Amino acid sequence: MQATKSFERAFLKHLLRGFRLSAVSYKSMSLQERKSAIKLSADVAMASARGSRKWTRGLITKLSKEDDHRSFLRLILGTEYERLTKPCHGSWKIPRSKKIVRRSLRVCSRRKNNLRAPHGVKSSVLARTLVEKRTHALKRLVPGGESLDGYSLLDEALDYVISLRAQVDLMQKLLTTFEASKLSALSKCTLPERKASFVGEAGIHQQKLTEKAQLRPKLTL
Amino acid sequence: MQGLRAPPDDLSVLERQEACLLNWQQQGQEQSNYNPRGSGYCRQMQTSFQALPSGCGGEKNVNHGDVHGSIDCFSDGWPDLANIRYPVHGAANVEETSITNVSSNSSRKRKADKSPRSKQKENGGGGKGDSGCKRIKEETGGGATSETGQPNKKEAASGDASKKNDKPPKTDCIHVRARRGQATDSHSLAERVRRERISQRMKYLQDLVPGCSKITGKAGMLDEIINYVQSLQRQVEFLSMKLATASPLMDINIDSIFGREINPSCKSGSTAMIGMSSELLDQSYLRFDTLQHPHPCSGLDTFMDSSDLVLRPNVNPPVAVPDASFGSSFDVILRLNMSMGVLFGVQTCKACMAWISSKEEGQPSPSNHWKVKALILYQEHYDASDDNKRSGSVLPNNLKMEM
Repeated sequence: MQATKSFERAFLKHLLRGFRLSAVSYKSMSLQERKSAIKLSADVAMASARGSRKWTRGLITKLSKEDDHRSFLRLILGTEYERLTKPCHGSWKIPRSKKIVRRSLRVCSRRKNNLRAPHGVKSSVLARTLVEKRTHALKRLVPGGESLDGYSLLDEALDYVISLRAQVDLMQKLLTTFEASKLSALSKCTLPERKASFVGEAGIHQQKLTEKAQLRPKLTL
Repeated sequence: MQGLRAPPDDLSVLERQEACLLNWQQQGQEQSNYNPRGSGYCRQMQTSFQALPSGCGGEKNVNHGDVHGSIDCFSDGWPDLANIRYPVHGAANVEETSITNVSSNSSRKRKADKSPRSKQKENGGGGKGDSGCKRIKEETGGGATSETGQPNKKEAASGDASKKNDKPPKTDCIHVRARRGQATDSHSLAERVRRERISQRMKYLQDLVPGCSKITGKAGMLDEIINYVQSLQRQVEFLSMKLATASPLMDINIDSIFGREINPSCKSGSTAMIGMSSELLDQSYLRFDTLQHPHPCSGLDTFMDSSDLVLRPNVNPPVAVPDASFGSSFDVILRLNMSMGVLFGVQTCKACMAWISSKEEGQPSPSNHWKVKALILYQEHYDASDDNKRSGSVLPNNLKMEM
């Protein structure tokens, strides 16, 4: 499943616009600030390029929690900002006390377990708990996923994964283009040195990226 | 299969299932000779399917799909008939087995549909008079594939209790069929539908997440999905860090100059503009190693060679990009270049322009006006920044030569 070309176009457009907007104060920024500014631009670009989905709304809402981001978002998105942050009908998040919710969940699950497995089948109970735990973890990962049920959560996760993958690909391509052109401008180096440095850098860079890609972190629940 | 009418256009699932049926029947005919076990059933099925009226033919349901799925799995063309337990008696019944419900009308479940999603297959039901036939709810949101999550063994052979029901009313309800050996109350039916939808989504995700073809359990799949999402998010962070380190400090003058330039053009044809930058990037990686044209200018040569070396290892699997769009993409490349220059400095612009111009030579350039425009802009730009004056003048000259 691929992200569409129009998505990629919109993403790049918004990304570059975001870079331009946040680049005014680049000189005074530290590395961390620059990195977070870039990440913010990338996330906003991805969300706005995708359009109106539950996870995009959740993402933008999460990003606009900080005040200084809000003006940035407004600039980039324009009119879409208002539309996207308006809470949609299906995903009102009713404020609930966590303790009460946890207690009720415990009671409910105990009751369910007693009903469904009166003859003491442990494996199904175990399987169900595992699935539940993982569903919760996924809910935390996917933006705006807290208020979704099983099916729509999977749906949104699917969409989110596609967009994330496209985002990573595009950023990678952008990075390699920039690095290539930047290094080529080093007029001081002689030609073979430059070639060597190119290959070396590109190789290292690519290697790092593939390592990252193959990294399989332990699941933290 | 003269009896089956052509399926309506929007029912792609039906088409597929019809093809399945056709295949199945043909296979059955071929294999009936040497499949003694299945032969009796074969003949039954054949007669039944030929007798199948056009109406019921439209009523494809999961059962056919399931059986076909089973046929796909096994090399033998008619393997699972025994499992399916189609009844031996009458053609009508054999057809009914695949169509009618397990039990009587009471098990019919009609959910009020939220949207007019359920296809109007009820029209087909009239032919044989079994209106009580249910249809499995079809996913339109997900891509309209019928659920094949259930194992084939459980697939319905109602058989004995087949009843002829009257025509189903043409409503917008979702009709769900209960299978043999399963509970038929509304709760379990709803839950089964929900489970099937979830399993379909899991299948999509399985295709998406690399390396998940062997994992079958829900928990394991969720685990993989979570890992994948986490790794993708980490990659984004890492890449943004790399981008932050790769960008030199930019010049505010540049920003002001290009800001004016880019903003008005943002509205006009923005899609075409920065638009095909993704294609641009693709093309750049595609074309880089096919670039053969030797360039007169030495500076450009070095750039080409070095970028050649850099980008060849990074060539992605080729994207099918039509050559015709190549010319227009240069406009885009140019603008992208300029906007990139805002962030990443003048050197980038220069290098990219060089690359563009050299590659442009190999292509019939549709119009040179944008090139002139670009040169003018670059002249302005280079004039504005002091340190690039020397190198800046070199570049446009080269470009002019190529024109």
